[in-house]
Amino acid sequence: MSLDRSHIVKSYEQELDLLRTMMAQMGRIVESQVGLALDAIAEHDEAAADEAARRDPEVDELEREVEGLVIRLLALRSPMGPDLREIVAALKITGDLERIGDYAASIARRAMKVVDEGEKISLSGLRSMGRLVRENLQRTVSAMIAHDPSQATEVWHADQGVDEHYLTLFRELVTYMMEDPRNIRSCTELLFIAKNLERIGDHTTNIAERVFYAATGDNLPALRPRGGARKSVAKDVKKS
Amino acid sequence: MSKSSQAAPERLARWRPDRRMNRRRHMDRLATWMSVVAGAVLVVVLLSILWTLLSRGLVGISWATLTHGMGPPGSGGGLGNAILGSIIQTSVALLIAVPLGLSCGIYLAEYGRKTNYFADVVRFVSDVLMSAPSILIGLFVYQLVVVPWGHFSGWAGSVALAVLAVPVIVRTTEDMLRLVPTAMREAGAALGAPRWRVILSLCLRSARQGVLTGILLALARVGGETAPLLFTSLGNQTWSSNLNKPMASLPIAIYQYAGASYDDWVQLAWTGALLITFGVLLINIAVRLSARR
Amino acid sequence: MNVGLTTSPENGSSADAEAALSVRDLNFYYGNHHALHDIMLDYPARQVTAMIGPSGCGKSTLLRVFNRMYDLYPGQRATGEVIFDGMNILERTVSLDILRARIGMVFQKPTPFPMSIYDNIAFGVRLHERLSKSDMDERVQDVLTRVALWNEVRDRLRAPASGLSGGQQQRLCIARSIATRPEVLLLDEPTSALDPISTARIEELLDELKEEFTIAIVTHNMQQAARCADRVAFFYMGRLIEVDTADRIFTNPRQKQTQDYITGRFG
Repeated sequence: MSLDRSHIVKSYEQELDLLRTMMAQMGRIVESQVGLALDAIAEHDEAAADEAARRDPEVDELEREVEGLVIRLLALRSPMGPDLREIVAALKITGDLERIGDYAASIARRAMKVVDEGEKISLSGLRSMGRLVRENLQRTVSAMIAHDPSQATEVWHADQGVDEHYLTLFRELVTYMMEDPRNIRSCTELLFIAKNLERIGDHTTNIAERVFYAATGDNLPALRPRGGARKSVAKDVKKS
Repeated sequence: MSKSSQAAPERLARWRPDRRMNRRRHMDRLATWMSVVAGAVLVVVLLSILWTLLSRGLVGISWATLTHGMGPPGSGGGLGNAILGSIIQTSVALLIAVPLGLSCGIYLAEYGRKTNYFADVVRFVSDVLMSAPSILIGLFVYQLVVVPWGHFSGWAGSVALAVLAVPVIVRTTEDMLRLVPTAMREAGAALGAPRWRVILSLCLRSARQGVLTGILLALARVGGETAPLLFTSLGNQTWSSNLNKPMASLPIAIYQYAGASYDDWVQLAWTGALLITFGVLLINIAVRLSARR
Repeated sequence: MNVGLTTSPENGSSADAEAALSVRDLNFYYGNHHALHDIMLDYPARQVTAMIGPSGCGKSTLLRVFNRMYDLYPGQRATGEVIFDGMNILERTVSLDILRARIGMVFQKPTPFPMSIYDNIAFGVRLHERLSKSDMDERVQDVLTRVALWNEVRDRLRAPASGLSGGQQQRLCIARSIATRPEVLLLDEPTSALDPISTARIEELLDELKEEFTIAIVTHNMQQAARCADRVAFFYMGRLIEVDTADRIFTNPRQKQTQDYITGRFG
């Protein structure tokens, strides 16, 4: 259901627009943080790592502002229906985004500690996991901006790939550590990085769920279906 | 400080009234004074009437005046029989007029709303009757009652007074009932009360102050009427409480005595006038008090 | 996401409880004006059903059909059926006195009768029952206690009801309505003339009354409908647009018109 009509009370409409703008802005900053963190790993780019960490306070500040605005909207406007869902979802999403920002900063810091002396550790697995996480995040943020439930559902399903990547990477890194104890330090950092990426993926899924709720008023199932069950969910989504 | 004093001349200019405003203000004052003067004239006239009545009539008030019947000049007659006659005739008139006027007012207010042709006619006739000259009412009752019966009577006087009182009661009852909010009627109906119950127990009850005021106003109006009684109860020099016979009344006593050439009769006329005036005044004060509560 | 605001559509679309009032194909006319169109609606027993919608949408009109209030006014008529206790109450043969004793109504403005507090309550009871003095005293105390007015008025039962405050008067009117022991209570914007504290008292009262009565309330205050009602019906231009649980209507209505109305996008 799209809201093609605007509110009778203009200032209410303006405040809702402001909330949407702030959410989009926060989404884009967090997106860029994740991108910078991944660059820091892949290119060992120190400037990118610094930049990723430097943007964190901006995200925290935006989170506080969104919270303030949401409380104000709830208290003064008594929002109903889709407005209520959007506002409550924004409050929850902003928390997820803030966590993602923190993880990105943490990844960037750890990336600088990885010292690959023998150039023996392959980063390709981590890179492709990073690409998937980043892509999912981008799609979720654009689904959030566009109030698009079907795109949110796609991301929600795609997170399964992130989990699979993580398990593979875990095995790979443990192997490296067993081969040469000198790798343990770096590999531990990389393991933390992988874990952080996996957490980013989970928060992205949360956001996708909230975008879906805000847009449709229905909840995605509590547990993600595996394998063949996917089709029936896709049907449900189309119905609503 | 310096800032505000600099801006002061412009600001004062904005507050200065122009010529049209001044003219309107003067007209306003003039009109106010004229109404005050008109009010004062009225009060002076009323007070002078009251003063004349008091100064001329008060000396005549005595136990004898109130209790003795009318008698020939110089016999020490009083107004007792006229006072009794007035009380009897206005009471009987109200006994006839109140049920009739109330019912009619209730009909007009509760049943005669909107497009009811008969109710419109009734309302119009009642309003015309209210402003009809009272001497005409007297003649009407003379034709209706006195001529068929063959003699003047207290009944005829009472009927004439009742005819005068009915329209007043009808009008006030209808107006007062219309002031009762529709919500009250609906609330009564919503409890399952039949319509007559709603009207009598709720509407009439909540309008009772106004309705009572209307009845007292009617009483005040008929209490001082002379003209309709001239052709109906005629007047009577002797004590009589028989409604089938001609009956004395204060207004007729005044009418008969005022022009007489005997000093004691003229004195009685003044006293009677004083009694009627204060009677009516008392009723009016009672109306005010009851309306206030 | 388990916010708990939504309910599954299955709960929303059907009333679980038995219907106290069933409206079937109801049409209503003010003279030539067709005010209600083909209304189909159930009022589940012992639940609060709120009727919302913009002014002139027909919600009050529907409420006034249930106790045949429109019978007071010539030119107003209803067709269709309203089933109450197995009977179509729109039938001419239905006794209005009995119907109105079984279906009570409270109005927008408090309408205390011009009599004492005690008699305000006794008035309705005396129309339908013959009670001894002590039984009547008991009834009066009982209903006044239930509307939380007893402690405020116990010392002045013989004083005129017009001396009460607006909120007290409205609670007295509710007490008066339940004194005849109705099964259904109709409330036509009962708090629109009251201050927030009195409004809260009435809303609290509704919560208690629905244990015993089926309540239909017309309100312009959406928060009030959200707070008090189990089910909410949205009317627009004389038609029932949507009826569902209050949760559903206020978080995720099905119809576009409902959504526009509750979010304040009407017009």
